[in-house]
Formats: sequence, C-alpha cells, structure tokens
Amino acid sequence: MTRSTITTNEDLPLRVGEFETLAEGLDYAARGQTGCNFFSERGVLNRAMTYREIREEALDLAPRLVASGLERGSRVAVIAETRPEFFVFFFACQYAGIVPVPLPLSVNLGGRDAYVARLAAMMKRAAVSAAVASDDLIDMLRAAGQEAGIERVGTHEEFRAESAKNGFLRPLERQDPCYIQFSSGSTSLPRGVLVTQKAITSNARGIGQHGLALQPGDRATSWLPLYHDMGLVGFFLTPALAQVSIDYLATTTFARRPMLWLKILSEYGGTISFSPTFGYDLCLRRSANVDPAQFELSQWRVAGIGGEMVRASVLQGFAERFAESGFNPKAFLPSYGLAESTLAVSFTHLDTGLQLDHVDRESAALKGVAVPVSPHRDGAAASVRTFVKCGRVLPGHAVEIRDDDDSKLPERAIGRVCVQGPSLMQGYYSDLEATRAVITPDGWLDTGDLGYLVDGELVITGRSKDLIICNGRNIWPQDLEWAVEKLDGIRAGDVAAFALGDDEDSERVVLVVECRTPDPEAREALRRYVTAVVQKTAGVGCEVVLAPTRSLTFTSSGKLSRAAAKADFVAGRIRDVNEDLHTSQQESPVLAMAVGSD
Amino acid sequence: MDEMQNNSDSVFQDICGFLEQYNRNKIEITGSTDLNSDLNIDSVAAMDIIMEVEDRYDIDIPINLVADMRTVDDLVSAVQKQKEAG
Repeated sequence: MTRSTITTNEDLPLRVGEFETLAEGLDYAARGQTGCNFFSERGVLNRAMTYREIREEALDLAPRLVASGLERGSRVAVIAETRPEFFVFFFACQYAGIVPVPLPLSVNLGGRDAYVARLAAMMKRAAVSAAVASDDLIDMLRAAGQEAGIERVGTHEEFRAESAKNGFLRPLERQDPCYIQFSSGSTSLPRGVLVTQKAITSNARGIGQHGLALQPGDRATSWLPLYHDMGLVGFFLTPALAQVSIDYLATTTFARRPMLWLKILSEYGGTISFSPTFGYDLCLRRSANVDPAQFELSQWRVAGIGGEMVRASVLQGFAERFAESGFNPKAFLPSYGLAESTLAVSFTHLDTGLQLDHVDRESAALKGVAVPVSPHRDGAAASVRTFVKCGRVLPGHAVEIRDDDDSKLPERAIGRVCVQGPSLMQGYYSDLEATRAVITPDGWLDTGDLGYLVDGELVITGRSKDLIICNGRNIWPQDLEWAVEKLDGIRAGDVAAFALGDDEDSERVVLVVECRTPDPEAREALRRYVTAVVQKTAGVGCEVVLAPTRSLTFTSSGKLSRAAAKADFVAGRIRDVNEDLHTSQQESPVLAMAVGSD
Repeated sequence: MDEMQNNSDSVFQDICGFLEQYNRNKIEITGSTDLNSDLNIDSVAAMDIIMEVEDRYDIDIPINLVADMRTVDDLVSAVQKQKEAG
C-alpha cells in the first residue's frame, strides 16, 4: 500500500511564500518530506511524491531539455494532466530556463476534432518549440502539432530519454517569466496570460500568508483542473511555495464520482480545498444515497469558493446536507480572482462564512446602485437581489470601481472592477492589442467584471463581457456561433449565442439561428444539428431558437450585438418560427430585469 | 466469432437500455444514433454514462476514447475494447 506524504515537516520551519522564484521555493520544500499524492479513479492512493522527489526528477530532466536544443526563454506546451509527470515537467522547465505552457484537458463526448483544433490554436499563439503529453493523449497532441506546424511532439518518456550530454541547469530568475496560461479568449483566438516569477510569488504570498493564513497542520485537497488558474496556482504552485502536502483527484474523476472528494478530505484530513459553486452543487446532487455520517469534515477549515458567481443557496444546501459530517459553514471562504492577476484578488475574512448583501433589484438594474434592503420585506423574492461579498483586496494590491469614462465610483455604485498590484500579468503573450484592451495606461487591469464595493469589500454582480459560464466553465459565445455557422445553409452573422440565468440558477444557453428554410422537416433537422454541434464544441445543452432572417442586430461597425439579441429574446421580439404568433408569450418583468442589467 | 458477436449484442442491448433515460424524444436507439444530437446528453450526463459503463463492466475508459465516441456503436466498441484489454 502506498503511504501518503506527511502533513507537516517536523524539522523544517514553515516558510509561506517567502521566495522570489518557483525554483527557489521548490529547493526549500525539497528539504522536507511533504509533497503531492495522486489518487486513482476509484479514490485509491496510487502514488505519493515528496517535493524532494519532484525536484530530483525535475533536475534530471532539465539538462536533457537544454541539451536537446531548447533555447532559454523558449516555450514548451504540456498538457496539464493531474499526474506526477506534469509536475516534474513544469518544474524541469523552471530549472531549464524554459517557459511551460499548460494546455487544457477537456474533451467532450465525440469532441476529438474540436479539442485538436483548440490545442493547435494555443500552440500557435504561444509559438511553442515542443509539446508533451501522456500516452493517453499523445495522438491528439500529435494531430494538433501537425496542424500548428510543431515538429517536436512527444510523450514524457520520450523527453526523459533524451541525452543529458552537454546539458546544464539555467533556472528562470526572478525577473524572468514563469509560465503562460490560456484561460482567456476564444478557442479561435486564444489569449495566453504571461505570468512572471514576480507575479506568481507575490500572489502565492498573498494567498498563503493573508488569504488562507497557512499554518502547520494544514493539508490541501484538490480536484481542480491544472490548466485553470485556481488549480494551477491555488493547488499546485502556492502549496509548493508553502511546503504544504496536497491530495489530488483528477477532475474527470471528480466529475464522475464527486463523493470521492469528501472521502479523501475525510480520510487524509484535508483542511483546505476550493471549488466553484458548481462543485458543491454536484456533491449535493449526487449525495442522495449517501450517509453524511461516514465523512469527517470538521477539520476542513477553508472551504473556498471562486471561479464563478458565488451562489449562496447552493452552498447553504451543501452545509445542511453535510452538517452531520461535521462540516462547519463558517469554513466557506468566498474569493474573487482571475488569471490576468495570476489567481487571487480578494478573500473574505477567515472563519466568518458567507456574508450576504441584499439589495434592491430595480435600483441595481436600472440605476446601477446597490441600495441595501431588508430581505424580509414584502415581495422580497421578486424585488431583492442577494449577492455574496468576496472580501478585501490582498495587501499590496488595490481595487477600484470605475465608470465607462475611467472615473472612480463611490461605494455601492456598480461599475467596472479594476485591479492593480504586483500579481498582474505582464500581458497577453505576443498580443499587444489584446493587452492594451485590458490594461489601462496607468497600469490598472480592467477585469471585465462588474461589481461594487461595500465597506471596502468587493461584490461581483456580473460580467460586462458576453462570456457564458456553465457548470463552472467559461464558454466564449463566438466559439459556439462559429461552429454553428459552419453548418450547411447557415451563413456568417446568422447566429447569436448568449446565456440566460438569474443569481440562483445555473446559466441556460440560448442559440438564436436565423433560418431560411420554410420546410418543417429541414427546420427540425437544423435544430438537431445545432444542438449537436454545440454539444461537441462546449459540452453543454442549449435552447435553439430558429428565428426569421434579419432578427439579429448589428452595431454600426458591423459587430453582432449579443446584448440586443438577448434583450429581444427576453422581450419576446425574437421568437421561434414554430411558435404560434397568436399565443403571445408573456414577458416576465423580473426576468427582463435580471438579464437586462448588463 | 459467434461468441464475440453475442457478447457484443448483449453489451449493445444493455447500453441501449440505460441510454433510454436520455431519450427525451423517444426515438428508436440504433447503433448509428448520435449521442450528441439524437439524445439529450450534456457534459455532466456524459460523465454519468461513462461512470455507469465503467462500474457495470468493471473497466476504465480513458479520455482519448471519450473523444472518439460519437455514436452508440462507438460507445459499445469502446466497452468491448476495454473489456478485452482486461
């Protein structure tokens, strides 16, 4: 039986984030016995690897990468699978002066082609010199490499088998980049966030010392994907920079068997774990036949929430369901962050649980002011909107709410959330235009989110971008639109994708497709094709609205207005061709307000 | 050969049986039924199906096989392949 790594080093003082490079942090962690533990699809501990072992293997691999001709500063793509090889490769790059580019591992049923295209676009954008994956994924990576013109694509084993002759170590230094993360931008035009050593170490320090206040006895548990900032930074790099042991479950395993998350937390004594609201929801939905008394969750002191809008009712349901497991609702720690700021921007106070802010729905939607109201007043369900506070900004960083003219807004005014500080990315890799669009001349990052401040605490109310968030994943509407436009009989500009959803519901994806054919059978076939192509592209179900031509609105510069399409749909001005025009759909004023605000 | 054929038929029947719960439009499920366009399967339901199949046949279905599963036949042959691999 494999033994897990110990939780706390006995002879090595805890140093939380006091490092200037990743390599320096791993050098220190390698002096203890803590490390990373990998669990199987059935929740059995497969492999335990101390930070010392990770470092040793990384130091063995690094000179081979150098000897193979990869130049200092070159980029190498690595599929971010939750397995030891990824960890070793990522750190080998740090010691070899190479910038790793973690790539996603999200494959939908029948989604091979979409995945290959996505990988190819990212590799092209980062101009990588080589790419690596496990045996499971190497076929698809090779196909992507061919598409992107990348010749050197290999398995981890193949890279390890390279000669180390004439190889040497040339670690990335503190003024150097650290990695490129793709979490922003559409599939066709991906944006790679260039995170520097300064940004990662600053953010890890803020998270470890301030946000989580890591202490001896802490142990992390994670199923988060390592190609997202919350998984990569929160549950790989920050723990490594704080000598914290982690227990890992692959994301695909969690999606299939979410109870394993709670089981591993129980059995290995995890004290820190994060998830989007979606993950707590999945546990709740799959726990029908589960006896909560079998879990021991009282030691779980930080149950973090991030990555999407925090939905209070779901979390309250989770806390009730697992009260018998000893789960403490005060462990809930809402947070806000984004990859452009490495990961974290703000955390609520520890040990306080969810702090809610109830505001008048109409003032928020129409006047852009979050006026506090009592949640108990008459008709509260329709007229009160409840948000979860996401806490104060990390030390050394600043947050401002600005209007469209870049002027700073007062407390409780809803506007663009802008952030400044040492955790900010240097920019999008090799994409000056996209960088200029989000970083102001005075060095502030426009997060693209909307929110307000109350007593210095940040509240997120929505997104100013058209981004669709479904089951914790970001979906770019243009990806769906472009995929549908490739269908026979559909032309560019015939399609608009957007999401409907209020503060409590998960988002519902709607595709409005202008339909030219009067033939009922052809229409139904089209409806099926659109559903299928959306499934393959993004793995989500959708509502297909076949609308008459010229239903969609375009801006004066010829850009599709999704906001207008959404408003028209909600108001009943865009309707499906099959809908009887005489049975008019009643417009719901509440729904209109909920979706009309942004 | 006959035995293998029977074996594959029973897997097929079995899988069609539990796919019924996703058959919202009550179509006839055949080998060429498209999992995405003909049935009501989103990414969460897809995970449920994979788990169900893994538990039922005591196999693991790696992610690269999932990427290639377009039809019911694809699903059945992936199960066969993993069963034989043991």
